[in-house]
Amino acid sequence: MLQTPIKPETKLPPSTHEFAGVIHRLEAGGAMLPDTPENLMQIIGLYKAYAVPMDFYWRDLLYIAEREFLNPFPFFKYFLPKEYLELHNHYAGDDADLRIWQKGAATAHPELLAFMEKGETFKMPKLFHHLWHDRINMEFAEACMRAMLWHRGMGGKFDPYLDSDEYKANADRAIKAYFQGNPAMLGLYKLFPDMFLEQVRQLSYYSNLGLFWEVMAPVFFEMSDRYDSGDIKNVPDAMNFLVNGIFAVAGRPIYHHVYIRGEMYEIIPKSKGFMWLYEAALPYVEAVFYRTAPFRGTKSYNAQAKQVPDEQKDFHYGILYADVFPVGTAGIPPTLLMQDMLHFLPPYLVDYYSKHCRGEDDMLIQLGISFQRSMYNVTSAVIQALRQALLYPLDDSNPKHLQANRAFFEAQIDRFKRQEARLRDIQRQDYR
Amino acid sequence: MLSPLFWIPVLGAALVGFWPGGTAARSRSIAIAVATITLLWTFWLLSQFDISNPGMQFTEFIPWIEPLKLNYRLGVDGLSLPLLVINSLLTWLVIYSGNSQLTRPQFYYALILLVNAGVAGAFLSQNLLLFFLFYEIELIPFYLLIAVWGGKKREYAAMKFLLFTAISGFLILGAFLGMAWLSETPTFAYESLTTQKLPLNTQLILLTAIVVGFSIKIPLVPLHTWLPDAYTEASPGVAILLGGVLAKLGTYGLVRFGLALFPDAWATAAPGLAILGAVSAVYGALSAIAQKDIKRMVAYSSIGHMGYILLACAAATPLSLVGAVSQMVAHSLILAILFYLVGVIETKVGTRDLDLLNGLMSPMRGLPLTSGLLVLGGMASAGIPGLVGFIAEYLVLQGSFSTFPIPTLICVICSGLTAVYFVILINRTCFGKLDNNTAYYPKVQWQERTPALILAALILFLGIQPSWLVRWSEPTINALVASFPANSYQIASLSQNSGIHNQKTE
Repeated sequence: MLQTPIKPETKLPPSTHEFAGVIHRLEAGGAMLPDTPENLMQIIGLYKAYAVPMDFYWRDLLYIAEREFLNPFPFFKYFLPKEYLELHNHYAGDDADLRIWQKGAATAHPELLAFMEKGETFKMPKLFHHLWHDRINMEFAEACMRAMLWHRGMGGKFDPYLDSDEYKANADRAIKAYFQGNPAMLGLYKLFPDMFLEQVRQLSYYSNLGLFWEVMAPVFFEMSDRYDSGDIKNVPDAMNFLVNGIFAVAGRPIYHHVYIRGEMYEIIPKSKGFMWLYEAALPYVEAVFYRTAPFRGTKSYNAQAKQVPDEQKDFHYGILYADVFPVGTAGIPPTLLMQDMLHFLPPYLVDYYSKHCRGEDDMLIQLGISFQRSMYNVTSAVIQALRQALLYPLDDSNPKHLQANRAFFEAQIDRFKRQEARLRDIQRQDYR
Repeated sequence: MLSPLFWIPVLGAALVGFWPGGTAARSRSIAIAVATITLLWTFWLLSQFDISNPGMQFTEFIPWIEPLKLNYRLGVDGLSLPLLVINSLLTWLVIYSGNSQLTRPQFYYALILLVNAGVAGAFLSQNLLLFFLFYEIELIPFYLLIAVWGGKKREYAAMKFLLFTAISGFLILGAFLGMAWLSETPTFAYESLTTQKLPLNTQLILLTAIVVGFSIKIPLVPLHTWLPDAYTEASPGVAILLGGVLAKLGTYGLVRFGLALFPDAWATAAPGLAILGAVSAVYGALSAIAQKDIKRMVAYSSIGHMGYILLACAAATPLSLVGAVSQMVAHSLILAILFYLVGVIETKVGTRDLDLLNGLMSPMRGLPLTSGLLVLGGMASAGIPGLVGFIAEYLVLQGSFSTFPIPTLICVICSGLTAVYFVILINRTCFGKLDNNTAYYPKVQWQERTPALILAALILFLGIQPSWLVRWSEPTINALVASFPANSYQIASLSQNSGIHNQKTE
């Protein structure tokens, strides 16, 4: 079932782009995802299911960046201390800087706490839950972090800063403080100074991603609440909420603080003025939604086979391109996230999935495809936000301005022309 | 003791056929009940069977039509017992896996039970005419099973099957009549036949009729052309019975009525038969490599594996004959699991085309257990150690090498070629990735998995505990070989192989 494209209200002639329907929809203020109630239900349900593990991800990412730091044997880095479970999200609760999630508390989500206590099995000590693999797949969050670290150079000033002398000096102080009284590690640091420095850079990305998700979790919780109360009625509503959210938090600081023996070291101080939108959100979208790394289970890394591009900018393995059908197979990293989201699906989605395909048996794939739809919606919001920030309003009366908008949209959608992109598929309701 | 093996399914067939208002589900449950009783009876027989006795056991005799010398004479020995068990087991599995949307279910289950009865009767018969009667009883039910419930070209396939098999029956009847009439005391009783006193030329003519007749049924190249059509067009259950049971009737007949009754002529013909077996094996393997349809691949694999049996029979050493019986059993189990799994794949995916199938190993959207078992079945067929196929093939090859080294080596190569086409099949079917536009296959229910799991368990168990495969037929075969008139190469092979053989099975 193809969604009839929203009639273009612009004064421009119809686009001749392969995805003309999608471009017209974007120009009319819509999303890449067709606006159907079914799509809306899927994406909101997935936002909710994603937000709960995300609430764990951001807390643990910050915990690793700030407390575990350079621990050479971080065996327990996924064991969140009470302190970090009670850490106040800056965008929820009564003491929020900017209260995005209206109803929720600032501490960890109750569903997350319940899962950490009981998991899929029963109440037992954290260690056993971990060993039985009855846990949140934190490895997925680390993989996203590593994608951001490795792709680097995607605009913004955060990444160049990691190579500056100022950063090196900050890191140096923290490294020496951390290994104080440990001559072996200090000696190693003396011998191979770059070894620990690069680790600290990675930890800065832990912090970066943690701070990014600290925003997204309450945004998704709030969207779920608004959908439940009927405030979000269609897909453009959902997208616009995200666009507004992006602008509201665009200026939030991105920093990296480390706590050693009760003392705080500013590796990247807030005063550097790194902003959420340019230093976290946009690089994240580029690195994780578009690029990431080829899945071991689908592409050969053989250099002669030339299956993997030479240039990082040509990487196209993000969720917008991913083939979700092999989820659950060896060598398909998103499985980790799908497994995490599976625990927190709202009941209406479980009902919905059990009526389609193999019901509960292949729910992991069905929810994966819904997740893909929801991430197309998030990407739509990012594209609309960029258009709003850099170009003209959609109701501009000047045709030249509208033409500029169209050129921007077309350039964005050009990235989905390649065969692997799932933009074509998500236009169909029976892609599930 | 033995009669129930025949009469329970016959009465069961009548019961299923005439039960008023028989829906698919009800007919199936009645048929399952009948098949279960038959199977349990077979197991009981198995437990009562005296392994150390090489002769006929549980014999039954009722005079019937004296002028024709057609008497109701039954018996079982180590040669027929394993095949009887396979017959009961496969029939049970085929009925168990009968689907609920079947058209004309009463007719279907009645025919399956009739087939079961006919095959059991043929294995049990100790009277040549009685054997022929049961042999011919198979014809019509199988014709109908293919023609009514088959694929697109079912009528052509069924007619071809009917004609070939009818000619097979004609040749066998001719040979039987000749054997009885030409011998000094005309009789159709198996044990009192004295064909060995006939002139060698006469023996050779009769043996030729027997070999050609049964070769059609087995089938062997070049008499196999009905097989790919019949196996492919038949529904999975019918294909299992065709390959697992009916083909064994051919090999059984070859040993029972060819080798055992004409040892001298057999010795003369053996080199030719060994070459024919090797040719069959090569032909089956090469043809299977060329196929695009997985069911046809499995069908041709069957021709290849039957070639080994002929080679083993031609060599006629104790070891090779034990190998032949083992290969009959192994082939039945392996062919059954392969056809069954191919049937599941066809039902769920909707195609058997190698170019369309892909990625079925995928755990969520594919058919992972089916694929896993298909890999197991393919490995068993290709003779990978640890599975029953290896045991049987190794016994055949080891037993035949001293007698016919060249055909044996050719068969070894074919064993490699079997691996080639099964790897092709598995690679194109199970590996790769699913097509996102078509991969919304229904799930495989537990009930649909059971038959394949039972077969897989047997294949694995007999592969690591092969004495359960060979113990039944050893004494009978030793006695059979010992009764052969002395001729040079057989004595040589006997003295060489019996030592190895005994060590192996102690």
